[in-house]
Amino acid sequence: MTNLSKLLAMVRYDLRQRLTDGSVLAFAVVVPLALMWVMDVVFSDATDVELQPITVAVATPADDQLAAVIPEVLRAVSADGELQIEVREVTPTEVPDLVADGSAGMGVVVPPDFSTALIAGDGPEVEVTIGDNTGIMDQIVGSVVRATLAQLTAGTQAATAGVELGVSPDQLAALGQAVVDEAPQVQWREGQAASEQLGFQESIVAGQAGMFLLFTVGFGVLAMVREREQGTMARLLSMPMPPWLVTAAKGAVSFLLGLISMTVLLTAGSVLFDGVDFGAPVAVGVLILLVVAATTSLMFIITKVARTAEQAGIAQSIVAVVLGMSGGAFFQINATGLVGTILALNPVKAFIDGLGVTSGGGRVGDLGTVALILGAFTALCLVCAWLLPDRKDAL
Amino acid sequence: MRSVLAIAEAELKRFNADKSNIFFVFIFPLALVFLLGSQFTPSGTAGTVAVTGPESGLRVALIEQMETAGLEVTLTDEDGMRRQVARGTADVGVTIPESAAEDFAAGTDFALELVSASQSDAVAVAQLVRDATAAATLREGQVIALRGAGIDSDADIVRALERAEDSVAPARLVVRNQSGLAREFRGLGQFDLTASTTLLLFTFLTALTGAVTLIQARRDGVVKRIMASPVSATQAIAGQGLGRLAIALFQGLYIMLASWLIFGVSWGDPVAASVLLLVFSLVAAGVSMIVGVLVDNESLGLGLGIGASLVVGAIGGAMVPLEFFSDTMRRVAHFTPHAWGYEAFAELQRRSGGLFDILPELGVLLAMAVVTLALGSWLLRRSLERAM
Repeated sequence: MTNLSKLLAMVRYDLRQRLTDGSVLAFAVVVPLALMWVMDVVFSDATDVELQPITVAVATPADDQLAAVIPEVLRAVSADGELQIEVREVTPTEVPDLVADGSAGMGVVVPPDFSTALIAGDGPEVEVTIGDNTGIMDQIVGSVVRATLAQLTAGTQAATAGVELGVSPDQLAALGQAVVDEAPQVQWREGQAASEQLGFQESIVAGQAGMFLLFTVGFGVLAMVREREQGTMARLLSMPMPPWLVTAAKGAVSFLLGLISMTVLLTAGSVLFDGVDFGAPVAVGVLILLVVAATTSLMFIITKVARTAEQAGIAQSIVAVVLGMSGGAFFQINATGLVGTILALNPVKAFIDGLGVTSGGGRVGDLGTVALILGAFTALCLVCAWLLPDRKDAL
Repeated sequence: MRSVLAIAEAELKRFNADKSNIFFVFIFPLALVFLLGSQFTPSGTAGTVAVTGPESGLRVALIEQMETAGLEVTLTDEDGMRRQVARGTADVGVTIPESAAEDFAAGTDFALELVSASQSDAVAVAQLVRDATAAATLREGQVIALRGAGIDSDADIVRALERAEDSVAPARLVVRNQSGLAREFRGLGQFDLTASTTLLLFTFLTALTGAVTLIQARRDGVVKRIMASPVSATQAIAGQGLGRLAIALFQGLYIMLASWLIFGVSWGDPVAASVLLLVFSLVAAGVSMIVGVLVDNESLGLGLGIGASLVVGAIGGAMVPLEFFSDTMRRVAHFTPHAWGYEAFAELQRRSGGLFDILPELGVLLAMAVVTLALGSWLLRRSLERAM
């Protein structure tokens, strides 16, 4: 019997045992799929941010030229393009009722004597009321009104400075408009960035698959700790075969369980949820191989560190939850700088980033950074496991 | 009664002997309260912008205006900006070319590049960036306008504008958020909401994972030994039920006290909050007994415990507030004990309610507790009869 056939025999036996174990099925397929479904149903409403048309009820004092600029600017923004803002000019007393009954999404009330107060330097307050279901339009309308007030203030300040500097009265009136007209104009060029961002459903599928992979791969390698406790490892090592075959067999079982789990979860995710497309199957396959290798190699360290099966289980759970959650299994952590770099070294995060690349149309060649991270992670874990004392002979 | 208490005490000791609880019971829930609570800020950022370009007056002016508009700005290089936008770390990227900085310094028109991420709220952030940039050019507009009005000395213009800034207070925007969501969350402390949802999630999760001790007790013959001692089946069942309750209460009380001490979380009326925790823990204890009897494999019990807790918690509003749910999902949520617990804590924490104000929620939770404990007890009695 060759070493290969011995290895295959051990893998076949272990794999059959694991696949018939209900707990493997629970961690590898059932629980992550159930969580994906629930998160999709529950969270999709919460994250559904739409750019919807909005009605803004605006109340301005009569015959106040400066105040009248505000509804004009709001109409101009709407006329410019994709933002749909309907302006309804009403009296100040009507605004709260219109917002409360949903006839208007937002209300803007410019106080009486707005111009007088602004010129007098009193800093008049314009009140914006936000109602229900405004989506992100409340930010946009608020920003437009804020920018308009900044322009009106700048014009008034220029006129005040003009009075001090002896500008003639007939020129003062035009000074406010001149500030806006003469200010350097900004030409915006719309740039492009590669789309490496997963959609909402894709993030759920990728995150849950990545986190539960850390549980699934434990069923192979961490079984060595249990076998040490039960004494069956000693029997295996006394068999006429090199000791490394036992380790290799356990590693292969973990690797295969991980491959099966990831393939099932990503395929099921693509079929069951709308808008889930991770891109080129070959590139996704390479990513799966890399992340399964990385997570399996991590289990070898736990095997070396843990003295008992209980300790191994604890360490595995902590590693899975911490790496899963910080990697984006439940919510994205948008960090930059040092924290961002540390997070990017997390295999779950690297896997999700890699799927972002492939879903944006990337091929195997575009996975450079992600492949490097996962490859280096695997190598580092294997070296650490090799160097760590205790059971060095088994590796 | 002493026998019942002794069994319950033994269960709690077995639970505390599990070293993984140091992390999952004591550290992890509080880390989650801190992590999620940190993102729940009343003055949260309006969006994130990655800016790239050499140091210049334009860059300083732009960043100042963007930060005034509530945007979070990070400085990076060209590749970094595009990477952040591509991955959604930044909503919008802005490139300030050297030529733009020179044009701005010369008071002429300039061109900037704006890159928007694919998420839908990037449109709003892009508008904020455009408005902030326009605001950054107003000072130059003031200077040019005054020059056009015949003032030749730039030094005089700058001095006069500085005095005008001091004397003319800017027109201000006052925002009143009257939306249902804003009204609902008004008055909540930064960590209050996440602490109550974490309590619901972990009290249930810890109770369910604690079912493993019952599985172990049945597998290792502990239950048989209990039945061999002078203890009736009713006492053994009550002891096991009390043990599950003790585990759930232990977790809930720990989160309550630790979050109050560390994060200053307000739990509202302490008596009402304690009663609520007790009744919710009774439901969790009942479900834990059911799992502990129906499942024979510890790993499967643990997997089901974690999975079921997360799934039920997510449906019940322990991960995303119920206020964000659709009407249909909100109705579905009320099949879970978490949703009733959530509503009750909302009454106590946000509206200073008392015990009488949460009676409907307590009533439903109590009914759930009766059903789950009765079913768990019946299943355990059947299991004990087999053991005998």
